[in-house]
Amino acid sequence: MKKIINNIVSILLKVKLFLVKIWTPIKTFFKKKVNPIILIILKYTGLLWVKKQLNRLPNKIKKAIYGILFILPWLIGMIAIGIPILAKSIRMALSDKYYYIVNQGWQITGNWYDFTQFKRIFSDEPYHLTQILDTLKDVSLVVPLVVIFALILALMLNQKLKGRAIFRTIFFIPVILLSGNMLANFQSNGLLTVPAIANGTITSFLTDYFPAIFSEIVAQAFEKIVLILWLSGVQILIFLAGLQKMDASTYEAAEIDGASMWELFWKITLPALIPLMYINIIYTTIVYSNLSNNAIVSIINSSSDASGSLAGTLADEVNYGRAYSAALSWILFAIELTVIGGYTLVIKLASRRYE
Amino acid sequence: MNSLKSMNLKRVLLGRKGNDGLLFKIVLYILLTGISFIFLYPLLSMLSMSIMSLEDLIDTSISWIPRNFTILNYVNAFEWMNFFEAFSDSLKVSVYPTLATVISSALIGYGFGHYQFFGKKVLMGMMLAMFLIPTVLTYIPTTVLYRDLSIFGIDLQLMDSIRAFWVPALFGNGIRQTIFILIFYQFFRIIPHELFEAAEMDGSGPLRTFITIAIPMAAPAFLICGLYSFVWYWNETSLARLYFGSVYTTLPMSLESYINMYRSMYSQGQVTLDTVNSIYNTGVQYAMTLISIAPLLLVYLFAQKWFVEGVDRSGIAGN
Repeated sequence: MKKIINNIVSILLKVKLFLVKIWTPIKTFFKKKVNPIILIILKYTGLLWVKKQLNRLPNKIKKAIYGILFILPWLIGMIAIGIPILAKSIRMALSDKYYYIVNQGWQITGNWYDFTQFKRIFSDEPYHLTQILDTLKDVSLVVPLVVIFALILALMLNQKLKGRAIFRTIFFIPVILLSGNMLANFQSNGLLTVPAIANGTITSFLTDYFPAIFSEIVAQAFEKIVLILWLSGVQILIFLAGLQKMDASTYEAAEIDGASMWELFWKITLPALIPLMYINIIYTTIVYSNLSNNAIVSIINSSSDASGSLAGTLADEVNYGRAYSAALSWILFAIELTVIGGYTLVIKLASRRYE
Repeated sequence: MNSLKSMNLKRVLLGRKGNDGLLFKIVLYILLTGISFIFLYPLLSMLSMSIMSLEDLIDTSISWIPRNFTILNYVNAFEWMNFFEAFSDSLKVSVYPTLATVISSALIGYGFGHYQFFGKKVLMGMMLAMFLIPTVLTYIPTTVLYRDLSIFGIDLQLMDSIRAFWVPALFGNGIRQTIFILIFYQFFRIIPHELFEAAEMDGSGPLRTFITIAIPMAAPAFLICGLYSFVWYWNETSLARLYFGSVYTTLPMSLESYINMYRSMYSQGQVTLDTVNSIYNTGVQYAMTLISIAPLLLVYLFAQKWFVEGVDRSGIAGN
């Protein structure tokens, strides 16, 4: 393995040398032939004048202009793609029906201020309402667990151990495997669990020796723990990056003063990781509430995706159509905001004593 | 004497600081190995099932090691998936958008990280807010919009083409691109300003400073973002189906349609455990799954050395 890597590295070095070799004639060619042409073009299009004016501007404004030029792709994307999508989905959620007629384009019925779909969800669809509440419960249970587990695992991986590199390699495998529909695939085949849990060995052991309520909760937690571990790949990475950044001398100083490992964790490590905790809460909430095994997401998928969202005609709008799904996904968005807001507030209040 | 011995024992077991004792190490190793097993379990069990013959798959007494080793499942999987075509489609569908994502994320991240301008915080807040919006919410409006999207009066004709993936990525609207922009933002923010000032003193323009100073400093960020976005585009099936399902069939898309077909046959009773078919069975399904993720695992195994080091180093500026 090492040999192969070394070979690849040496090949890459050779390629680099070769590139440097051919780069010099290209550079001189550009300097002699292309640059004058560009200069002429700049001169006649008036861009040279713009450049001169730019150079005259104070440094601060010049830099601001450069900054905006660098983020220009994002600005264009925001105006041309991001905001229109948002506007369309809001309009969709606030309509009675949203359908496509060939040669006439998209048709919208209903006034936006009627909030038809939202009224429908909250008064006519008790089953979907319970699903929404379950999702809220589920997300608000899983998110803190993922963050806490990720923190523990990152701390574990940060210890000086033999074979640390192997463990790290294995711990990031979920990141590679869990995207797209892979998670749903794995889950439906029962691969995201451990045989002892799947076969009910642990469950039967628990029910034999413990009261029913207790064993049920623990068994469910076991089921969830595997999923939680699978979900915590990126979060571990983020925490690890933060842990690596920490200054070793702070720890040494605290150790000399006689701080225990426990104190080190609560007084030095944790406060430094709080900003990353916000990032992880946001990330986990987004990823977890968008998984295809989420109740709301599966309602949306089954109601709007099956008929093909592009060719959706009026007939598809009879049951749970595009408008209904859009309203549901805005509720999902509200759930995300509630969870993120709630836990951010909790951490903010809890970390007050560090300030 | 005796008390000294017990003290020594205690020190060896528990350590002096709490995290260097033998007991601590043992517990740590047990936990890490257990969790590693959980992560490896799907891969291992798929591997073992994919080399089982039909009889072994039905036989419940065999759980891990097949009695009759076979590669027939892989042969069938290769044929069903039309491997080489699907593989080249997969590469096309993931490499171009990855390049677009990395380039535009680096530019945008640099703009946000290195420069100060009016309204920067508001814009970044907007970016984060857009990131919070559920992806399902955007599916339908996106397809509606992409059908006749034009930027600067140029009709982009995104539908039925990979452009539906890479053009939005070029404008900062790729799959989960906000994360990449934020990673680059963090990287460019921590590069010492003296370096840039020195370059600007020497008369280097903004683009040149970016290419010669900022990019080499953020090599780990390029690696992380490249790897992640490659994986995410590779595994994306629902968007791919919406945008260019009729033109390209990637490996994961092919796997998905196989699973759907298998399921519908199973529910109609055409395939049952007694009449297992040599083409539609769990062994072939797992062989296919492994084939479709094998390229990712290979890329990861080669990149992980730099990947993990990159994470280590990401904090240390000027290294």
